Amino acid sequence: MITPLTSAFGEDVKFTVEAIWKVLLASLVLGAGLCAVFALGIRSLAWGAGGDAEVSHAQGNPAGRIVAGLLFLVVLYGVVAGLLFIIASGQGKELTFSHVIPWIQAKAD
Amino acid sequence: MNAETLALVIVVVTALGFDFTNGFHDTGNAMATSIATGALKPKIAVALSAVLNLAGAFLSVAVALTVTNAVVHVQQSDGTPDPTLVSDGGSKLMMIVLAGLVGAIIWNLLTWLFGLPSSSSHALFGGLIGSTIASLGWDGVNWVGDGTKLDGVVGKVILPAVLSPIVAALVAAIGTWLVYRIVLGVAARFTSNGFRWGQVGTASLVSLAHGTGDAQKTMGVITLALIASGHWNHTDAIPFWVKLVCALAIALGTYLGGWRIIRTLGKGLVEIESPQGMSAEASSAAVILASSHLGFALSTTHVATGSILGTGLGKPGAEVRWGVAGRMAAGWLLTLPAAAVVGGVMWAVGHVCGNTGGPIVVFLILLALSGYIYLRSRRTAVGAHNVNDDWDGMPTTSPEPQLAAGGVA
Repeated sequence: MITPLTSAFGEDVKFTVEAIWKVLLASLVLGAGLCAVFALGIRSLAWGAGGDAEVSHAQGNPAGRIVAGLLFLVVLYGVVAGLLFIIASGQGKELTFSHVIPWIQAKAD
Repeated sequence: MNAETLALVIVVVTALGFDFTNGFHDTGNAMATSIATGALKPKIAVALSAVLNLAGAFLSVAVALTVTNAVVHVQQSDGTPDPTLVSDGGSKLMMIVLAGLVGAIIWNLLTWLFGLPSSSSHALFGGLIGSTIASLGWDGVNWVGDGTKLDGVVGKVILPAVLSPIVAALVAAIGTWLVYRIVLGVAARFTSNGFRWGQVGTASLVSLAHGTGDAQKTMGVITLALIASGHWNHTDAIPFWVKLVCALAIALGTYLGGWRIIRTLGKGLVEIESPQGMSAEASSAAVILASSHLGFALSTTHVATGSILGTGLGKPGAEVRWGVAGRMAAGWLLTLPAAAVVGGVMWAVGHVCGNTGGPIVVFLILLALSGYIYLRSRRTAVGAHNVNDDWDGMPTTSPEPQLAAGGVA
């Protein structure tokens, strides 16, 4: 019994190490990355609003709003993808990004 | 009503009770940060989380019938019960499941009493492991799987529990650090408003993901009991009423709000500002979704706690109350064995009392213990009115500031 038990234990550790790196990388991009993009959006909004929105009290720049809008769109894309992913996995399906817009499809396997 | 039907009814009711504790135990995972920063009023936050949990529970049409297979051998791989356990009308399996559920509920209530966020899934697995060891022996437990995929107590419970909070903390710390760097020089009044939106959005994602994942476990357990007692014979579908009552139970629990746990997560661990709240929930959502995509089982609670801790590490000058974090970690270590002990003892009690009396006695013990814990909790009631009070000093109206004991590092 000892040998198969320990080897299965080793396999569990191996699978975990393999999975955890991917989880870490994906979470860094989606979690921390999208937070940073959102923060850039806020910063651009403040740049666009000018005056009291910034410590420097500089004049507002209209381009700030446009840049902010684009950045928020990126965040929205991530959030919608997350939402669709939850729905897809609840239905036993998976998400495809093959047409840029994330969409639900039957599982490939 | 004959003995088998009565046992089934007791198992179903107890499973729903577990689902309910699962709901209020985990409200804080999604909503503690939004409540602490004032992004949402406490009552609004729990209502939003409850609605999203309800929606999430209905989104899950995939059948989680094999939920117990991760840790114990009471089901076959297609989800049907082990035939040797149902030869007598299912009572053997019923007793294992019932005792496991009771172990999980008691541990969930105890940790709630002490304001500790602990994993409901681990409590359920712990309870089942305990009752399985008591009835089938050591070999009834799936310790490490068969080596072909992540499985067993080690692969599905222990390794994820150790690693997922670290990953979540790392992601949240980096996210928080980036966010504060980026908005340096933007007026605080301007940022806090914007980040509140981000907070509510990310917290909603976590709530929805929680509803999809956790309600399924109870649905699986109830359906297993129905199959064992011969009231259901599909392994690829769940009766609609099961889905409905499970969704309602977890949503009701969420709405009730485990205020003691919300307080620990939102105020106790780290003093949270809205940029941190957003980073924490974004990190939780990302880790939960990425893991579920990669088949890496983890607990929402561990991820949420790790994330909140991480925001304390990532914000320059922020303080993490390591005493509180240490108590949580101790609670996590204890969850599996403690729920297992209760589950094992409950199985023994039920076994001694026989097929008819056993489930009734175990259920009465559950009611008595739950009632006692509830009454204890009233001495230091935490609710929407005082959930955000300063952590130091615990200014509740109570004479016995239980949460504050050892709460400050």
